[in-house]
Amino acid sequence: MCFQNLPIEFDEQGNPYLKGGVTDPYAYQTREIDRSQVEELLKRNGHVKEMSLDPVTRVAGALAFHSVVDLEKRKVYEANSVASLFRGYEVILKGRDPRDAMFISSRVCGVCGGVHSVASSLAIEMAFGITPPPMGLALRNIQLGLDFCLDNPLHLYVLAGPDYSQIVVERTNPALWEKAKKTECRYTDIHGFKTMAELMEAFNPLTGKLYIQGIHATRVPREAYSLLFGKYPHPQTVVPGGLSSTVTLRELNETHNRIIRTIDFAKMGVFIWEEITAFFYEADPKYKEVGTRPMNFMDSGIWDDPYNYDGTYESAPEWGERRWGTPGIVIDGKLVTTNLHHINMGLEEFVEHSFYESWENEGIRYETDPSGNPISPHHPWNKETKPKPTQKRSWKERYTWDTAPRWDRHVMEAGTYARMWITAAAKKLPHTRFLESTGHSLKMHTPKTLLPPMELEWKIPEVWNAFERNLNRAYHIVYCQLVALDNLYIAFELMKQGKTKTATPYEVPQDERIGVGFWGAGRGWLTHHLVMDKGALVDYQIITPSTINASPKDPWGHGGAYEEAVVNTPILEEYDKPEEFTGIDIFRAIRSFDPCMPCTTHIHSDTHVVTREVNTCACGIV
Amino acid sequence: MPEQMVTIPTRGRVDQPVEGETSRTMPDQIGNVAGATMAELHERLIHSNPRDVLEPLDKVYAFWLSGMSCDGCTISALGATEPSVEELLTGAMPGLPVLILHHYATAIESGDHFTHEMEKAAKGELDAPYVVVYEGSIPDENLTIEGEPWAAEGSLPTWSPEGERRRIPTAEWVRRMAPGAAAVIAIGTCATWGGIPAAFGNATGSMSLMDFLGKEYRSAFGLPVINVPGCAPLGDNFTETVALLLLFLNGQAPLPEFDELGRPAWLFSETVHRKCPRAGWYEEGTFAKEYGDKECLVEVGCWGPVVNCNITERGAVGHMGGCMVAGGPCIGCTMPGFPDKFTPFYKTPPGSQASTFMSKMVGSFVRPLRRISQLDRNREIRWHDHVPSGWALEYDKTTTTHKVIEYFYNKLQYYRSEKPGRQKDVEKYRSGYKTPAEEAYGENYQVLPDERAKIAKERGTPQRRGLTPQAEGFDTPLEER
Repeated sequence: MCFQNLPIEFDEQGNPYLKGGVTDPYAYQTREIDRSQVEELLKRNGHVKEMSLDPVTRVAGALAFHSVVDLEKRKVYEANSVASLFRGYEVILKGRDPRDAMFISSRVCGVCGGVHSVASSLAIEMAFGITPPPMGLALRNIQLGLDFCLDNPLHLYVLAGPDYSQIVVERTNPALWEKAKKTECRYTDIHGFKTMAELMEAFNPLTGKLYIQGIHATRVPREAYSLLFGKYPHPQTVVPGGLSSTVTLRELNETHNRIIRTIDFAKMGVFIWEEITAFFYEADPKYKEVGTRPMNFMDSGIWDDPYNYDGTYESAPEWGERRWGTPGIVIDGKLVTTNLHHINMGLEEFVEHSFYESWENEGIRYETDPSGNPISPHHPWNKETKPKPTQKRSWKERYTWDTAPRWDRHVMEAGTYARMWITAAAKKLPHTRFLESTGHSLKMHTPKTLLPPMELEWKIPEVWNAFERNLNRAYHIVYCQLVALDNLYIAFELMKQGKTKTATPYEVPQDERIGVGFWGAGRGWLTHHLVMDKGALVDYQIITPSTINASPKDPWGHGGAYEEAVVNTPILEEYDKPEEFTGIDIFRAIRSFDPCMPCTTHIHSDTHVVTREVNTCACGIV
Repeated sequence: MPEQMVTIPTRGRVDQPVEGETSRTMPDQIGNVAGATMAELHERLIHSNPRDVLEPLDKVYAFWLSGMSCDGCTISALGATEPSVEELLTGAMPGLPVLILHHYATAIESGDHFTHEMEKAAKGELDAPYVVVYEGSIPDENLTIEGEPWAAEGSLPTWSPEGERRRIPTAEWVRRMAPGAAAVIAIGTCATWGGIPAAFGNATGSMSLMDFLGKEYRSAFGLPVINVPGCAPLGDNFTETVALLLLFLNGQAPLPEFDELGRPAWLFSETVHRKCPRAGWYEEGTFAKEYGDKECLVEVGCWGPVVNCNITERGAVGHMGGCMVAGGPCIGCTMPGFPDKFTPFYKTPPGSQASTFMSKMVGSFVRPLRRISQLDRNREIRWHDHVPSGWALEYDKTTTTHKVIEYFYNKLQYYRSEKPGRQKDVEKYRSGYKTPAEEAYGENYQVLPDERAKIAKERGTPQRRGLTPQAEGFDTPLEER
């Protein structure tokens, strides 16, 4: 069915089993990385340059990027993404009381705060055998809707935005700037900018209108977040079994006001990024290749249905499909599954090119998941984190603190767009008050605020590149606001029914338990896998979206998503001499992923394509 | 969209180069995407919108270094409003020098152009003082001597071929830059005390900035490390400390006071419990039993009574929220002992048991007495036996016991104090003048309208017909005049 590489087949009832007759079904042969051609080119040609971008700025956390670029052919030959930070959260969690996991794992990433505490509580609840009450679930959905409403604008206007600003475009592509001065905007009635040049000026750091508004736009959802969840980042009210928030009509009212007050800026943002995308596509269709890579996406789903959720692993396929963000896997643009069991079964993590020891000699803990489906020895439930900082970096050997997660051994990508793509394609979205999944798009019925009501529609794009990633992020803000609003009205309804309980009591079990939290971050996919025994955590594994995107090469030599995207990027900037080259196209490609290295760093990744070293957000490094 | 902090568009421009910019003359332009570094953009801003500055300092550099961090402190600072980051960066505050922030999350430039600025600071080549802000714990890089650092930022020498470069551990940058800094500020619990990366079981040997630099360290201006703790810290605590330090550097304000651990004393000298909105529940001996309950959270794991923090007073963002305000028990995230002296989280702190027992004892006496006084305080002076609220059932049930208690309470309340009103002769008008109310109803006019109607009838005082429905009935028509 959905697996092409792993030897998993399905019987007539749809139950998976390992193909018979294979002695070691998950074994593989490692392919050596051959750099001889690149080295040869570097030696021979003055216009083939090795770029060491260390650090890459305007990303969250520590990212370096190394690439080899041919400035004459305007091509990137090699890219290595380097997560340059390791903190060891998984190691710190090993041997602790499971109640510590939420607060400790939250500190993996301070950028989209709270996603880790919730993923952690989901894993703990599964292990403890408890389910949060509906109010707890509705409030969590509001929490994580609000979270992305501040995380995504921060990326669009403070981190990535300046790459589309006047000062950058004027410097790197003077012809484009001349064109911008003459190009009239399409949506002046909505955002007020008359020409593209005016709009780009608003992206200028420090003085630009959108830059300053973008910073401030992050504060309003933070206030709402702090009201119900204590503080941001690192919320204080996420507990095993739900939330410890004291919810009254006051908190709901103040949250309501703040969601409403941010909608206009988000609506406007969609049109701002539509302008940017259209302008660049029209100026040069080759911009459609900046940051392009295969349409392989994975998402673990997010925002549970408060009325239909039991939190067990066994019924994960059912409750997974009732989420506001449908879980799923897309391979080459085709949706292959939305079943959380299949998604979990296909998951493997490799460390051949990372600064870790393998865990082979630790033994295999589980050959199947709790429902009897086969899982790999490289699955997080079998993995152990063993950092080994004693090797010099080598693009052929090991070069990053990031690991290489793969699904069915495909190179995957996570992001807000993976979430929306799958939700749009699956047509399973049961919550239709504001949202509609059409199979090829996600319609968002946005209510009237200061701007009129709008039906915004994010369509699954035909091409995949840096511009589409950013544009999707603008739509994603509106999507999150509508999910938060939908859940706020559910919370009011629960209040009406007197169902104000936010948490379920629990006791810490002493026997062997296993759990997984399937959730999502500001950049998509997020899972926490745990094993506990005798009242303590014995293994804790986190896979973040930047773990996936910033990943180094896998055992077969396939680079991670950043690496692929950079290798595929044409060099479109204008320069007369090689010394004038700034690498803006490569930066646009990398930043379009919204790299967040704090989470990545139980992963350190070194991609070797066009050579630059970039330091990004610590998210990547657990 | 509410008003942004900087509401009026700045006159400053970042698109007009000024004399003395050097980034375009460097050996290559990789990463210099705007043809100017952030510092140069600031310079353009200052030139295009000059300030009438009488103070000695027009600008101060701030180098934000990040070690074993989650970026949460950065995010927190960006949410601050007292002052806001954009106010500090754009020079919107006349008493403060412009803050030129060198931060990997905001810098327009990348790579060597970014690293070069740090090199200049370390070599003392900047044209204004600089402060170092450090986020995250400092790992033990002795453990990585054979390999790649745990935490690194940039590589040196700048503009050298790949093979000749060495990645520079963040710890090394601290070592290079701390001696020349006007001040070194540790932001967040990782940097101030060690935090989670330095917790039991860590693999990296992490520690705090203070541990790393040692007791003898002093900045170029003679200051030990300044610590603004919290995981994440309140953004306002950080920007306020920075603003006050800048005012001090500019001769505008006194040196802010710091406690013996280098914390801003005006922010961290009280426990978070003292100003907690739930502290009153503790005092009355009532405690939350389950998550979500409204009472004091000590028994569900709150360490607030022994934690130095101000979040319940200041609020988390824009003066809103805060851990216990929202229902989250304090886990001591501002404290040197965090996390391991507070784990397992959610377990009742052992030290609280004796004091909660005592407060329950005291509370069991105090609570009923307070409720009686409260009931009486909930009555207007005109509501003697019944309450005119259509919602009220409880308030109509005044018992004789209540009245007796109320009588004595009243005596105590005005014992050796002046009761309002004009009981004594000296308080009355010498001419014998009476106010219209007294004239109409006599001295005891503090009664509800139906009783006033009765008195008026007895005294022959005229009344408007139909004005008071409870005295004359709702169907009585109003008098036409």
